[in-house]
This record gives sequence, C-alpha cells and structure tokens, in this order.
Amino acid sequence: MAPQDLLIEYLPILIFMIIALGISGAMVLGSILVARQKPDPEKNSAYECGFDAFGDARNKFDVRFYLVTLLFIIFDLEIAFLFPWAISLKGIGVFGFWSMVVFLGVLTVGFIYEWKKGALEWE
Amino acid sequence: MMAFDLVPLFPELFLAVTGMAHLIIGVWRGNHSTHFIFWASAATYVAAALILMGVSWGDAIVLNGMFKFDNFAGFMKLIILLGLLASAALSVKYLDDEGVSRFEYPVLMTFAGIGMMLMVSANNLLALYMALELQSLSLYVLAAFRRGSLQSAEAGVKYFSLGALSSGMILFGISLIYGYTGTLDYGTLSATLLPMQSIPVGITFGLVFLLAGLAFKISAVPFHMWTPDVYQGAPTSVTAFFAIVPKIAAMGLIMRLLFEPFAPVSGQWDQIVWFLSAASMMVGAFAAIVQENIKRLLAYSSIGNMGYALIGIAAVSSTGAGAVVLYLLIYLIMTSGVFAVVLSMRRNGKAVENISDLAGLSQTQPMLAYTMAILMFSMSGIPPMAGFFGKLVIFQAAVDAQMYVLAVLGVVTSVVAAYYYLRIIKVMFFDTPAPAFDGALPFARRAVLTLSVVFVLGFVLRPSLAIVIAKNAAGALFAG
Amino acid sequence: MEFIAVFAPLIGFIITGIFGTKMGKWPSIVITCGAMFAAAAASIYLFYAVNLQHAPYTTVLANWLTSGELSVNWALRIDQLTVVMMCVINIVSTCVHVYSVGYMSHDDHQIRFMSYLNLFTFAMLMLVTADNLLQLFFGWEGVGLASYLLIGFWHHKHSANAAAQKAFVVNRVGDLTLALGMMGCFAVFGSINFDVIFAEASKYADTDFVLFGQHLHAMTAICLLLFIGSMGKSAQILLHTWLPDAMEGPTPVSALIHAATMVTAGVFLLARLSPLFEYAPEIRVMITLVGTATAFIAATIGMTQFDIKRVIAYSTMSQLGYMFFALGVSAYSAAIFHLMTHAFFKALLFLSAGSVIHALSDEQDMRKMGGLWKKIPFTYIMMWTGALALAGIPPFAGFYSKDIVMEAAYASSNWSGQLAFWMSLAAVFMTSFYSWRLIIMTFHGKPRSSEEVMDHVHESPSVMLVPLFILAMGAVFSGAFFYEPFVGGEKAAAHGEMSAGHEEAGHHQPEVVPHESGGEDTVWARQSFWGDSILVLDENDSLQAAHHAPKWVKFSPLAVGLLGIIMAYLIYMTGPGVPDKIRRAVPALHALSFNKWYFDEIYDFLFVRRAFGLGRIFTKADRKIIDRFGPDGGATASGATAKLFSRFQTGFIYQYAFVMMIAVISLLSWFVFRAGQGG
Repeated sequence: MAPQDLLIEYLPILIFMIIALGISGAMVLGSILVARQKPDPEKNSAYECGFDAFGDARNKFDVRFYLVTLLFIIFDLEIAFLFPWAISLKGIGVFGFWSMVVFLGVLTVGFIYEWKKGALEWE
Repeated sequence: MMAFDLVPLFPELFLAVTGMAHLIIGVWRGNHSTHFIFWASAATYVAAALILMGVSWGDAIVLNGMFKFDNFAGFMKLIILLGLLASAALSVKYLDDEGVSRFEYPVLMTFAGIGMMLMVSANNLLALYMALELQSLSLYVLAAFRRGSLQSAEAGVKYFSLGALSSGMILFGISLIYGYTGTLDYGTLSATLLPMQSIPVGITFGLVFLLAGLAFKISAVPFHMWTPDVYQGAPTSVTAFFAIVPKIAAMGLIMRLLFEPFAPVSGQWDQIVWFLSAASMMVGAFAAIVQENIKRLLAYSSIGNMGYALIGIAAVSSTGAGAVVLYLLIYLIMTSGVFAVVLSMRRNGKAVENISDLAGLSQTQPMLAYTMAILMFSMSGIPPMAGFFGKLVIFQAAVDAQMYVLAVLGVVTSVVAAYYYLRIIKVMFFDTPAPAFDGALPFARRAVLTLSVVFVLGFVLRPSLAIVIAKNAAGALFAG
Repeated sequence: MEFIAVFAPLIGFIITGIFGTKMGKWPSIVITCGAMFAAAAASIYLFYAVNLQHAPYTTVLANWLTSGELSVNWALRIDQLTVVMMCVINIVSTCVHVYSVGYMSHDDHQIRFMSYLNLFTFAMLMLVTADNLLQLFFGWEGVGLASYLLIGFWHHKHSANAAAQKAFVVNRVGDLTLALGMMGCFAVFGSINFDVIFAEASKYADTDFVLFGQHLHAMTAICLLLFIGSMGKSAQILLHTWLPDAMEGPTPVSALIHAATMVTAGVFLLARLSPLFEYAPEIRVMITLVGTATAFIAATIGMTQFDIKRVIAYSTMSQLGYMFFALGVSAYSAAIFHLMTHAFFKALLFLSAGSVIHALSDEQDMRKMGGLWKKIPFTYIMMWTGALALAGIPPFAGFYSKDIVMEAAYASSNWSGQLAFWMSLAAVFMTSFYSWRLIIMTFHGKPRSSEEVMDHVHESPSVMLVPLFILAMGAVFSGAFFYEPFVGGEKAAAHGEMSAGHEEAGHHQPEVVPHESGGEDTVWARQSFWGDSILVLDENDSLQAAHHAPKWVKFSPLAVGLLGIIMAYLIYMTGPGVPDKIRRAVPALHALSFNKWYFDEIYDFLFVRRAFGLGRIFTKADRKIIDRFGPDGGATASGATAKLFSRFQTGFIYQYAFVMMIAVISLLSWFVFRAGQGG
C-alpha cells in the first residue's frame, strides 16, 4: 500500500475532526456572542466534583469515594472489553463467546464478594 | 505447536476455580470459615501438585503461544506449590494469635500462587506482565493485611507505590523491545535477535528497564530498598510468605526470560546480572550486620541469597541454571524453617522481633534453639548442611564459567554473612536467658520446622538426587 | 533381614533420641532393647543364611554421591566377615543394653544413655557392612562420635570430659591417615568400592606412586596409611593413650565400645582389606611388630595398676596386640576368631567389674576391695570364667583363639612372627598374673573398704546377671565351637606344606565348595566358611603352617599361663608383704610399669607443650599482625560499611524510588558508554 493510499484511508477521520472542531468552536463562540456575561468567582473556578481545583491536594475526604470509583473502573473496563467483543463475535465464534462468559463469570465472583462484603452500601 | 491446549495449565485452572470458590464460601460464612479455608487451600495446593505431576512434562506451548510448559516450568511450579503449602501451614496460628484471621488471606495466597505459577511458564512478554501483576496485586494486599497497624499499612503502601514504579519500568522495557523487534513472543523474539549483527541500543535499553523492574521483584540491589521496610512492617506470616515463594517465581521468570528469548544477547544482560549479583551480595552481607530486628535481618539475608542465586544466572550455562534451581529449592526450605522459629517468638501474647529476644533460648526452649542453630549453620553454608551444597554448586558454576571475581566475592560475603547468622546462635546459646516464649509450637508449624531440619540435615545423604533433578529442570531452558 | 540387623538400632536411636524424654524411661528402654533383640536375631539368621549357606551378597540402598569418576553407594555388603562381626556386635551390644537397664537405673539420664548405645551400635554396623571406604569412614567417625559422647556421658565430671576429648583428639591422628589412605586407594584404583579394589589389587601390586619426585610403592603407602588409621581406633602402641582414660565412661560403655567392638574396628578394617595387605609384606612386618609391642607393653602396665577398670583396659590393649600380630602374619581369620572370643570374655570381665563397682557403691580402686567373694558369688564365678578365658585355659574360648594366634605367629615364615611368639608368650604369663591379681585383690583377703560400704554390698539384680551369664556362655563355648569353621582345616590337599604354594598371585582363590561346614569333613572348613571375604596368598598362609607347629608350641602358652596364675596366688594370696618387697627390689621396672611407660608424660612434653608453645607464638603473631590487618581490621571495616549501607535505608519512599531511578540511569549510561567504546 502506497503512502498515499494509507493517508486516504484516514481521510474520514480528518473530516470528522474538522467537523467536530467546527461545531464545538461555533458553540463556544455563539455563547460568548449571544449570552449575557455575569462572572463571579464561583463561576470562574473549574468544576471538579466539589473540590477546590487549585487548593492543597492533601485534604481529607471520605474513602468511600475511592471505593465507588474503583468498583466503577472495573465495570467500566468490562464494558470497554464488551464493545469490541460484541462487534467481532461473528468472527471469533463459539470460542470467543465462551471466553467472554468465563471472563464475566470471574467478574461476577468479584461482584458477589463486594456485595456480600457490603462495599456497595454507603452507610 | 500453536494450539489452544489447556491441559498443561490444569493446575492453575484448578487453583483459580477453587480459589474463587473459597472466596464465595468465605464471604458467605464470614471469618469463622478462615480455618476451613486455610486447610482447604492447603489441600488445594496438594491437589494442584498432584495434578501437576499427572500432567505430561513434555514441551508444550499453549494458549496460542502465551505459555510454555516444560520440565523447568513443571519443577518450578512444584517448588512454588511446596512454598505455598509451607507458608499456609506457617500462617494459620499466627493470624489467630494476632487477631487478623480473615478468610481473604488464604484466597489471596492462592491467587498470588496462580500468578507465580504462570510467571514461570510465561512465553510472551504480555503473559509475563499479566502473571506478574496478578502476583504483585495479591502481595500488595497481603503486605497491608493488618489494616489496624500503622506499620503494616506503611509496608503495604511502600510496596505498592514502588511496585507500581517497577511495573512501569517493566512495561516501558517491554514497549521498547516491542518497538525494536516487533514481537512479544519469546520464540519469535529470539529468532529476531539471533541474526542481528549489532544490537540496537533501544533493545538494550528495553532490557535494562525490564531487568530493573524484575530485579525489584527479587529485591536485588539497588532495587531492594523496599525489602527491609516491608519485611519488618508486614505481619510476620506475610513476611515469611514473601521470603519463601515470590522470589522463586520471579527468579524462574528471569531465568526463562534471559535464557530463552534473550539468549542471543547474553553479552548484554550478563553485565547487568553481574552487577546486580555483586551488589546484592555485598549489601546483603554488610547491611545485615547492624540489624537488631530479626525480620530486617532476614530481609538482608534474602537480598544476599538472591545475589548468590544470580551468580548462577550470570554464569550463562546450563550448570549455572541448574545450580540456581537447586539453590532456590534449598533456600525455600531453609527459610520456611527459619520463619517457623521467628513466628514462634511470642512473649505474653505479643510477637517479639528483636534478636536479643532470642537470648538464652537454648535454656528456655532447647529444641527450638537447636533447630534454629542447625538452620543458621545451614544458612551460613557450613557443611554438611544443605545450605553448603547450595552455595557449593553455585560457586562451582561460577568457577566453571571463569567468573572468578564473582566467586571470590561470593565466598567473602558468605564469610561476612556467617557472622550475623552465627551471632544468632551465640545469642541463643551464650547470652543470659530472656524470659521464655509462650507455649508450644502448633502442629503445622512444628511439622514445617521438622521437615525443614530433616531436609537440611538429610540432604548430605543423597545430594546427587536433588542436584540431578535441578539440572534436568534447568536443562529444559537450554534445550531449544 | 539385613535391614533389621542394621537399621533397628538407628530407628531405636531416632525414636528415643527425639521422643525419649516425653515417653519416659520404660518405653525408651523397651524400644532400645527391643531394637537390639531384633537386630541380634536378624544377624543370627544372617549367620545361618550367609555363612552356613555360603551365600554372600550386597544390597545397594541408594546412590550416595557421584562426582566425576567417584561414585559411592549406600550399600550393605553382607559377606561372611561382615556377618561374623554383626553377630558379635549385636549379641554383645544386646547383652550390654540389658545390663545397662540395671546398671544405669539410678542415673537421671538413662534414656539418653540407652539411645547413645543404639547410635553406637548402628554406627558400628554401618562400619562393618560398608561396601566402600567412604561408608566405612562414615561408620568409623560415627563410632568415634558415639564413643566421645559416651566417654563424656557424665559430663559434670571434669576427668570424663578430658578423657572424651583426649580420645577424640588422639583418634583424629588415625582418622586423618585413614582418610589419606582412602584417597590413595582412589588415586590408584580409581574407585573406593571394595569389589573394585579387591578385584584389581593383584594387578596393581607393583604400581608406584610418584610423590615429590620420590617413587613409593603404592600398596605399601596405602597400607601404611590405613594401618596407622586402624592403630588409632584400636589403641595400638603410640596411639593408645586414650584407651585407659576412656574408662571414665560408664562401665557398660567400656565393655561394649572399649573392649568388644569399637576398638576392634581396626582389626576388622585390616581383615576386610586383606587383599591389599597381602601385597604389602613390609607393612605386615610392621603390623606384627606394633602388635607385639602393644601386647607386651600393655601387659607389663596391667600388672601394676590398681584401678580395676584400667587393669582390664590394659588387658584389652594387650589382646588387641595379639589380634594385630595375627593380622601381621596373615592369619586374618585367626585375628577375627580371637576378636570374637575376646569380645565375649572381655565384655564379661568388664561387666563383672561393673557389677563389683556397682556392689561397692562406685568404688574402682582395688586397694579398697577384697573379701567380696562370699557376698557376690555369682559375679565372682563370672569373673573367674572371664579370667580363665582370658588366660587361655582350656576349654575356655581364649585357649583356642589365643593358641591359634600364637601358633600362626610361630609358624610364620617371617622373623617378626618368631619375635611375636616369644614376646606374646611372656605376655601370656603377665596376662594370667594380672588377671588373678585382680581376682585375688578384689574378692579375697580381708575387706579393705569401710564397713559402711561393705554393709551395702549386694549381688546385682538379675537384669544385670543374665547378660553376664549369656556372655559367660560365649566365653566358655565360642572357642571350641567355632574353632574348626574359623581357623581349622587344611587349605587344600594339594598344597599341604607351607612351602608348597608359590603360584602366581591372582589364581589364589580355589572355588568355594558348597557344603556344610562344622561337620566331619573339615578339610575345606576354613576356606569355605570365609569364602571370598578374606584373602590369604598361599605363600603367606601361616594358619596352614600353624596346624603343623610342634607340640611344645601348642602347649607352652598353657603352661606359662598356669605359671602366671600360680605366681599371682603365691604373691598376693600367701604373702601380703610380698608385692611391696618386689616393688622395692626392682624400683625402676616397677616405676616404668606403674607410670605406663611414661607415654603420657612423653607426649605431654613432645606434643602438648610444643603445641602450646607454638600456639603461643602464633597467638602473638596472630594478634599483632594478622588480626590487626585481617579480621579485626576487616571487622571494623565491615561495621563501617554496614553503617554506610543502612544509612541509605531512610524509610522515605521518594528516596527509594530515587535510588532505583539512579540505578537504572547508571546502567543505561554504562551501556551508552560501552556502545561509544565500540564494545
């Protein structure tokens, strides 16, 4: 495959990026032009889950946040694996199907564990 | 060759399934079931070992080239299972005594065990990394197992953050290697490296990062800094586990990695190994001298021992590899025995860890003192104990490979190391007795101790047996 | 069967050694003694199966070690010689075990004692069943260890500790040469397995070693080393000083180790290696001379000692001398024969002496005994039996064995044999003299001990007397019974005269004719009994010649022995003042004998003080020069290094990570640097 052809392949992505840039740029510009501006410190600060974005990093907060985050990440990753699997299921066949079932089974064991341990209860 | 054949991985699969079953049982029944799960896990290890022995030990590449099963993997897995069994037996009573008897402990051990068993048969850099992480994550949790204790938590955090750093190095190394060779598979890797006239510096760099990360796992100097702190901070049974098994798995991993895919570039890595070995022996011998805490002392001792084992790798020969395997086996058994004694150091219901607490043990608990003395003699490599033969074959391999500097350094540091081993004996036998330790040893611990001492003393009767087995196992690495 | 015979004591030792104190006294005793009974029964069965059926065999247990050419097995070599030794060891040991049950019953550490005895027996059995020199050496050191432990059994006694150490150190000299001999064997034969060595001995009969440019006759050198090795263990003159001191151990130990079994290990070793010694005639002359000197000197010392156990100890030494000169004149089977009878009667004597000591509340000095015979009649009879056997009065066992030894010496074609005969004849006289001196001083005359002690005198319990009786049976009958199979009979009708056999070495072994021995047909008795286990070249066969010795040779020992008894009776029984008069008449001779020929003093002067002096010089040099720059300096430097290393260990994660990164970067720099160098 000549280099030219290779680049041609990526053309849709380029177009996609241009359109995306155009739309988001238009939205930002539009809000600046159209909307009424009335800034205050709260509005100017970055939004980050209720934390002060530029303060001391070492303040205490509830460890349960971490727990929830960690549990979320695991299942988030599961989803990330499930998408490509779902798309290529036709190609990888029965073997691929059962592989994922085993994977989900292992995750389920972990899920049962965290459930019984009470990790999902806030109080 | 490239087949999806699960049979050689049956032991690991069996462990995984039972491990998860234990997890479910445990979470349903709560911490009452800890003892049951401990013994069930121990039985699982035995069963896995039996399955392992039932599996054909011929060369097999499974899971599309991810894992390789050969004599070496088989033997190392057996050793690992043995170590798991010993650690489990050592832990039960200690956790009871410390009031941290939770059912996750044996389950974590099982998972770490699976990781370790996969490590020694990894045949792909990704499989290597995955197995390593499975092991490491379990170990991080174990290190911080006594959540209430500040020390234990500190140990866990230290181990975790430095471990993460080392994992990062490994990944970076792997990606460099992948970038320059275009493959992760061991077989393809060596086939790619073999015809190269000059090694691209990127591969060398990748190798350095990879080895640095792995050196962390076996706590070779200068990647050893975590060891004394973690050994001291972690619950003693966990320390025992750390000292006994993961080192062996990581060593097995390194051996396969260096002798199989990276054999063509042995001129590069043997300098790294040489340096790691020399530095480990030095630090292991000298830094231990001033230690007062026996767990810290054993940490340095394990650092030093890894240094000796690395000599065998630096020799780049099948004799050297055989010597390493034998050394690891002997090290495992001796360490189990030593920790059986250390775990029994309890006074008034509390664990004590200072060497001075052993004072006059020969009068208060003579049997314990004598077994400890035998083990210490063996550790310092005094004939006719098993430890002597371990060192002997290692140094022999070094001399065969004409690595006189390492051999001499090894002997010198052995002498220095003998000082602190013998000091323990001196404290036990000649110092004014400290108050006696609590009670008798529980059965499992006594069994481990007895078997260990019997092995250490009995080794001299049939040294050739173990030597030949170890040689055969290591020979598999050089077959290809 | 051989497993029971050899390993039962080991099992007994392990069980009682580990669990002894937990189990308590009686279970331990039952286990140790039971093990010995089993072993003894098994070895008697082996005697039937191997010696009488002429079926020697070797059981390989396992490969011990393989290193280059050297390959050593754990194996049990069960041949005729081994089985004879096993029977002697196990039977005597069983008797001593049972005896110890009574003798040591007041000791707090009886369990330990019994398990040590088991250990000793096992080591001794390992020694005799070895099929290679290394395993033999293992047993050799094992008995040395057990002997050390048992001599020093009463470790609160300073003298016992000193004696144990002395035994250990003196034995080291012999062990060293034994080890050297072993290495020599390997150098010549390329193997230390008996089968290989024996098969090739004749081939290497003329081989030379080259050492420092000197040519040494290989066989002579090896045999010399092995012989010195055996001298240590068997307390031959020059290396004998430990044996009398070893009497500090409990009496059963003296009986078992220092009379019946361990000290005869040297005799066994030489007999076992007869195929080597047959090719080293010079060494055999030396053995004869050393044996003769030992027999004679020990007998002279025995005449003047007052400690009852020391008298018997010197007697043991003297009898070992007999065995050695028998070996020296190639009468190996006669030596083993005497070994066996001696084991019985000397164990009997020791145990009887133990019984006396027991009766007198641990009194060992004969000057404080006397007049005991009515109070302990059984012991008295036993002592007589032993003494009669020792003095060689027919029909007791000693008569047969001692006579054949002396006849063989007389008939030997060598001048040293003649010397041995005459010297030993003198020793026979002294032997019977001191034996009856012992009996008379102990049992007759007026009681010389305090009344309190005399009131306590009592016969020992039957658990001590039964073993005595069994040993007495051996001391009475073993000589007559085993004379024919052990030493009797012509070698072969074809070469009837001693001058007949001058065949080529290598064709010396006639076929073993399988038929019952001990029956009427005794022409082949000796040969068929021992089979291949002992080799005697035809031209050296002094036993053959011994059967043709003149009549007066056969009877003179008996006559001299009786004379000794009469002398002892005259001097000690009739005239209480006579001994003193004799002492005053020949003060120099008495002093020489009483002070044991000043061996200890000479050694003290020659070696001990020299060694101390040398030690002092070395100490000074060591402290001033070597220590300052070596260990002490090294230790200081080590300490400093240790502190340096531990200073790195700060406990901060970021520093640890920093060190790791530095290390990685240094390694990378090294490779970059090397790549720049073109490496």
